[in-house]
Amino acid sequence: MTRFLFWRVLTAVPTLFGMSLIAFFIVSLAPGDPVLQELRAMGSVPSPADVAALRAEYGLDKPVILRYAAWLGRAVRGEFGTSIASGRSVLAEISIHLPATLMLAASALAGAITISLALGVAAVSADRGVAAVLRTLTVVVVSVPSFWLALLLIYVFVMQLGWARLVGDGTPGDLVLPAITLSLASGAALGRMVRERIRAEMCEDHARLAIAKGLSPARILLHHIAPRIIGPLATAWANTLGGLLGGAVIVESIFGWPGLGQLILQAIAQRDFPVIQAYLVFMGLGYFATSLLADVTVILTDPQLRREVGHD
Amino acid sequence: MFRATLTARLAAVALLALPFAAPSANAETSLTIAVRRDSNSIAENNFNFTTRGPVAQVVETAVQPDANFVPQPLLFDAWDYADGTYTITLHPGISFSNGTPFNADTAIAALQLYDRNKSDFLQIDPASFTKLGDLSFSFRSETNSALVIENMTHRGTSLFADVADRATNPIGTGPYLLESYDPKVSLTVVRNPTYWGTPRNIDRLNFRYITDDNARLLALQNGEIDIIADVTPQMMLSMPQDGSVVLHESRPIRYVALLANVNGKAPFDILKDRAVREAVAWAIDREAIAGVLFGGRGVPAKGILPGWMFNLGDDHTDGFGYDPAKAAALLDAAGWKPGAGGVREKDGRKLTLRFLAAYPNVTSVKPMPEMLEQMFTAVGIDVDLVEVDDAGVYSDTYLANGEADLFMEFASNNNTDPTYLLTMLFTTTTPWGGYQFTAPGAHVDKLLADARAAQSRDEVIAGVRAAHRAIVQDDLTAIPILMVPNFVLSRPGLEVPMSEFTDWIDFGMTRIVAR
Repeated sequence: MTRFLFWRVLTAVPTLFGMSLIAFFIVSLAPGDPVLQELRAMGSVPSPADVAALRAEYGLDKPVILRYAAWLGRAVRGEFGTSIASGRSVLAEISIHLPATLMLAASALAGAITISLALGVAAVSADRGVAAVLRTLTVVVVSVPSFWLALLLIYVFVMQLGWARLVGDGTPGDLVLPAITLSLASGAALGRMVRERIRAEMCEDHARLAIAKGLSPARILLHHIAPRIIGPLATAWANTLGGLLGGAVIVESIFGWPGLGQLILQAIAQRDFPVIQAYLVFMGLGYFATSLLADVTVILTDPQLRREVGHD
Repeated sequence: MFRATLTARLAAVALLALPFAAPSANAETSLTIAVRRDSNSIAENNFNFTTRGPVAQVVETAVQPDANFVPQPLLFDAWDYADGTYTITLHPGISFSNGTPFNADTAIAALQLYDRNKSDFLQIDPASFTKLGDLSFSFRSETNSALVIENMTHRGTSLFADVADRATNPIGTGPYLLESYDPKVSLTVVRNPTYWGTPRNIDRLNFRYITDDNARLLALQNGEIDIIADVTPQMMLSMPQDGSVVLHESRPIRYVALLANVNGKAPFDILKDRAVREAVAWAIDREAIAGVLFGGRGVPAKGILPGWMFNLGDDHTDGFGYDPAKAAALLDAAGWKPGAGGVREKDGRKLTLRFLAAYPNVTSVKPMPEMLEQMFTAVGIDVDLVEVDDAGVYSDTYLANGEADLFMEFASNNNTDPTYLLTMLFTTTTPWGGYQFTAPGAHVDKLLADARAAQSRDEVIAGVRAAHRAIVQDDLTAIPILMVPNFVLSRPGLEVPMSEFTDWIDFGMTRIVAR
């Protein structure tokens, strides 16, 4: 397993390198000049020397490839520079906002897993009418944009029922509505997968034998089907977590949740290049970490794979 | 007897309970104000923490703008300017909130601190400071500018005490003290008990950063916040009309205008012909646009600087009415004759104008671009409407390369330097990339350069007035459409002291007339 992890991490290095290169060039080539934005915000009448000094200060006076080399050299040492907008180090910015995003993503994932298992199992177990209703519900929830769902939840639970507040302070109570918003869509999508996996496994010989032996549906589900579908589901959960980490931007914005979404939205608006670049790298690392976690889970839950990795 | 005793006991209980039942006359007053973006920077070399509106409450500027943007005393009691040298007299009895007296020594230190931290905005010669007395000193302008005091009304020039931890604990002379700051979440200030000036009405101001427009409005409707400081036109459109949300407005200050590309290369060279620009100006039904956008609170514009600003007056520009027949006649005279499909042509070339909407984003002016497109089409102008929702794309992709004929902007002069806006947008030497395409030419460059070099305010204003007329009337490189007030939304029962200058809305002076 140690060897597997070593090789897995090693093969991620070129991927992360390529991703950082692409991210750097995309950000650098994107329209928008932080110097101009700074000058407009300042309201000053600068001389050409002032503009040149600002460009040099932000490192924008050098060719993009040299800027990337310099940035990469610092990044591998864990130095991502200073936010142009706030003056704080980029790592400080990320550390301020990352815990809130992690909390939201983890809560949303927990909700999504719960919803998906409930929906998937119910859709398989229920009679045809109920199953059709559940399928329709799943399609509707998957199709609804998250911002619309967020506004609907705000209207019902904040404006009408008064059960929640909109302007929170990042406490767990304020997490409920954004977590529900994210977990509904993700849970519905995962629920379809759970249903399909269970249906596929039900057709396998071992499941048919268990049914023929008269085992209870719960026992069949837990002891014969769950062990065989947990690997693919873990992969899907990991991908979902990666998506939630990077995809909660709009929901965070609507609910004022102080996570990375707020940070990146403002960074894009202000062309805060160091923050945008570091954010993209961290998101890449997040995806890598979650997919590694999924791989490990798959290996641990699959005896055959476990043996293969053990032999290697 | 029993009844009398019972009554006495009940009265005593009622008296004891009174302080709990009735609100105390000394109850703390607080307001929660929603702000769209946290713009505070704690960078040593770009330090603006607590200077940017609306959270600019901890520190103060040397002077403050009056209703017409003319500098008035604040920390500086009086000033005199001659031959590039300013002589300052400070207001007596002022201290920083840490107890340090604000005198000639600390004022000089604060200005030198500013000079170290910022780009050279004020253009003060740092070696020229001379202490003349406990409360007076002098300094020189590096450029012999008579506008240094005007520039000092900019919130970005607020004066901080030169303390080591100012990045996290800014010390100023302002009416409030920083209590807490949670980046991109909230900033809270509490009343400065030793403030030298008029005490503010509100004890505590809590600024909440809420990015989403809908969320800000919903939070106000839900009673979670008291005031929205950043109001977009969309919020005004979706604002409930049942009195649960109150709109506060200033005099019109923000302009909506079309900047004409008068220095572009083909195919963006049609508007080099002033007759076509004038035709465009006459083709706009400003009254109709004013009736649709901004809750009907915009007014047809004759310029991009309001007449009240700097006491410019309204009589130096004439403006343009709505006269499509005149627009058509101008185009006819310029050789643009009606062609196939109603689009005018000249020498086989169609009268097609690329119309870029808008700065800072198209969302803020919708549906004005579509209304204008219809008005231009009606006089035979084919419009290639490009809508962008990002200031970076607007600036870099189109404006910087002159890749459009008309650039729609919704902005304001956010500076009390009278020459600022016109210099940045309409001179060939502008440091803002792209605006050389909208510059009328050397004559306006000279008018504004002379105004910036003028040695008296009257001369400065005369120069600005002449340049403004050239830009919006004679040369017509800016076609004015609307002037729009500055807006704030609040819950009912609040009287918010409005200012045209967003940075100068003094939320601490809000009067709570009803809960």
